[in-house]
Amino acid sequence: MTGYILRRALVSLPTLLGITLIAFAILNLLPSDPLLTWSDGAGPVSAEATSRLRDALRPDSGPVMRYATWLFNLLRFDFGHSLRDGRPVTAVLTEALPWTLILNLSALIAIYALGLPLGWIGARRRSGTAAAGRALLLFLSVVPPFAAALLMQRLFAVRLGLLPLQGTGAGGAPGPAAAADLLRHMVLPCTCLALAGWAYAARYARAAFRAILAPEAMAAARARGLHGFSLARHFAPNSALPFVWMVAGIVPALVSGSVVIEAIFSWPGLGQVLLRGVEGRDYPLVMALVLLAAITVLAGQLVADLILPAIDPRLRDLVARDENVHG
Amino acid sequence: MACSGGGRARAGIPRRLLAAATRAAVALAVAALVAATTTGCSPARDEPPGRSTGGRGGRFVFPLAIEPATLNFVSGTDQASVLVERLVADSLVDHDADLRVVPRLAASWEIAADGRTLTFHLRDGVRFHDGVACTSADVLYTWERIMDPASHAVGRVDAFLPVETVEAPDPLTVRVTYREPYAPALRGWEIPILPAHLYRGADFATAAANRAPVGTGPFRFVSWEAGRRIVLAANPDYWAGPPGLDRFEFAIIPSADTAYQALLAGEVDYARIPQAVAATRAEDPEFRRRFSTVRYVPLFFYYIAWRGDGSNPFFADARVRRALGMAIDRQGYVRSVLHGLGEVVTSPFQALLPPAGDAPTAGAPTAGAMPAAGAAAADAPDPETAATLLDAAGWRRASTGGLRRRNGTPFRFTLLVFAGGEDHVQFSQVAQDNLRRLGIEMTIERLDWQTLWSRLKSGDFQAALSGFMPGPDADSLYGLLHSSQIDGGQNYAAFRDPDTDAWFLAARRTLDDRERRALYRRIENRIVAEQPYAFLFAPAVIAGVNARFAGAKASPQGILGHMPGAFALRPAAGGS
Repeated sequence: MTGYILRRALVSLPTLLGITLIAFAILNLLPSDPLLTWSDGAGPVSAEATSRLRDALRPDSGPVMRYATWLFNLLRFDFGHSLRDGRPVTAVLTEALPWTLILNLSALIAIYALGLPLGWIGARRRSGTAAAGRALLLFLSVVPPFAAALLMQRLFAVRLGLLPLQGTGAGGAPGPAAAADLLRHMVLPCTCLALAGWAYAARYARAAFRAILAPEAMAAARARGLHGFSLARHFAPNSALPFVWMVAGIVPALVSGSVVIEAIFSWPGLGQVLLRGVEGRDYPLVMALVLLAAITVLAGQLVADLILPAIDPRLRDLVARDENVHG
Repeated sequence: MACSGGGRARAGIPRRLLAAATRAAVALAVAALVAATTTGCSPARDEPPGRSTGGRGGRFVFPLAIEPATLNFVSGTDQASVLVERLVADSLVDHDADLRVVPRLAASWEIAADGRTLTFHLRDGVRFHDGVACTSADVLYTWERIMDPASHAVGRVDAFLPVETVEAPDPLTVRVTYREPYAPALRGWEIPILPAHLYRGADFATAAANRAPVGTGPFRFVSWEAGRRIVLAANPDYWAGPPGLDRFEFAIIPSADTAYQALLAGEVDYARIPQAVAATRAEDPEFRRRFSTVRYVPLFFYYIAWRGDGSNPFFADARVRRALGMAIDRQGYVRSVLHGLGEVVTSPFQALLPPAGDAPTAGAPTAGAMPAAGAAAADAPDPETAATLLDAAGWRRASTGGLRRRNGTPFRFTLLVFAGGEDHVQFSQVAQDNLRRLGIEMTIERLDWQTLWSRLKSGDFQAALSGFMPGPDADSLYGLLHSSQIDGGQNYAAFRDPDTDAWFLAARRTLDDRERRALYRRIENRIVAEQPYAFLFAPAVIAGVNARFAGAKASPQGILGHMPGAFALRPAAGGS
């Protein structure tokens, strides 16, 4: 198993390298001006002042050398410094990462918490309620996230005054009050993020539950004397499989959606760092984000590949055979 | 699972009822959403929960679209940084809401007869927020850092290039000597003063004070939560007395629409009102009960630069530039797209020079003054004269219609615009339509800001729509119009006129206000005749301020961008 993991990790390395190379090329071949990055495009700057500052702001080397330096520093886990404010990239990212994680994880939980039960009900019986629920979710899922966000802001925050409109709360000392405040601030952005996922999850879960809970299989199981908990225990691993795969369908949509949602709800996460970084051609910052995203995707695939055999014996045999062939 | 039978048992009427109820609920929810967005502002609660209203002054929340890059007073020259620095730090001089120079850290100053020496007398007893006295040594240090290219003081360097020496003969005196008489000298010192004792010995780019600034301003720094907010508190020992507010908070809100909704929801106390709803809001009694409004026209204006250096066959001819400028319907744009909230701009000096025939004692330019020069008055589109001018310049239209041609070359060019700016894109479409009627085909190329900037700098374009933000002094147009600024500056039209060059330099050396204004009038008349740029319009800003606060005064640089600015904000009398 260890060998399998190592081999998978090694195979991922060229992919990672390729991704960073492409990202770097795009960022560095587009025209950019450090003067503009530094001033956020503000202020009349004369030719005299420009020539005075030009040398101080000009990159020391060409793009090839810059990429090589970047790569070398990366080996020492040095991501460089943001071109905009000169702070270490790791400091900028560690400030923003927790916000993105908490928002996306909450949305993921919300999707599962509502999508699975709806799917279950839909699979169990033809119910008008469940159908209507699914129809509503389907309708909501086709509303573009930014439009949904604007509608919900106007309704729940401005008109009804039930929920905070934007931001992350007053902060302050950690405690139950601060946590409750944060939760209140998360309701709207989290719901907006989950909107598109709910319909997908409900439909996906309904189909999955239908296949698993096929009457023939149930009848056979009952005939063997299984019922209640023992019945669930036999069927649970089977049903888990598609729901692990479902994450792969939801997470990329969440991550891309959260860039928009973060901007609308003033959520201080990575999406905003990315937007600002791309606008300002802040390549050390953007490169670190690209790398982070690539590693997340590749690691996600690896984890899925490891979890699935643990659940599904058939896949376990496949991995074992793979081990024997290569190892 | 034994429960499967239970489901079937519940079949029949109840289930149908349930389905109907659900459908009704769905319909209601949709209707509520639609209603919420069409009826707009509402009887929402007045006082948002969790808002502390205790204390003498309360807390004012101001939205910032972009987080400041740094709060190092010298390096932080982006708009957001400058706004925060104004509150935390003091400059030697500042300007009031009418853009007149007023004293700040310097109680007084005098300019020597030769116009080369400027002597400031600092206020006695002023201390930084950490208790250390602020002296002329801090001013000297701030100047040194600005001149050090490693400080990246973009946008601050210009005013100090003509400086020969800065001396501090005693702790309360700063003497600045210029190489030659320099009329805009005083305004150059609108720069916040750094605490030298916190930067000496530290790395200037990464010093702790860059993210926890210490100044002498009316508010002291409390905290900076990355991506979220910057919190300031009143400085009770401010030399002009404590400010009217207890706390001042900058909330980072990237979306302008969110900022406006946050104003309605009571989460911020100031926000720009979208032009499309500004008129209806002004008449809405509910809105007027909860908010006061301020209106100002920023100095910023839009223009189209015609690249006139002969790199294209069109724009080296002033008749062509004049014709195109005449054909463009600025008035219609301001009226219909901006809902009347803006001004047509026919001269870059429009807001900076007082109207002709004003009292000779008025030393200061009046913000938002209407065009004065007679030549600039014709701002209504005039396609007939434009067509005549184009004919005269050799660009003729065949009797069968189609594009204008000269020696077989069709009049077909590309306009660069910033894709991220609503006004940029919308106006370019208006201009495209105006020119099509004249037999000119204008292709619009949308670019991101960095690409547009680099194309402008390299002169790699035929025409470009952009904007310019002059300072309060007319000399700031030097960068747009002087021929030395074609390469590296912002003279993107490549306008080259020896007279204009000479007048700009003469105006710098002229200390007499009237003479100086006369020189700028000459430049203005020349620019209006030559039309290197088509000057377009300046959108107005309408902003709402929560009625719980009083003292908001608009200047062309907003409610914070002047003295006293935030210092004068205070809780409204009778309010909570």
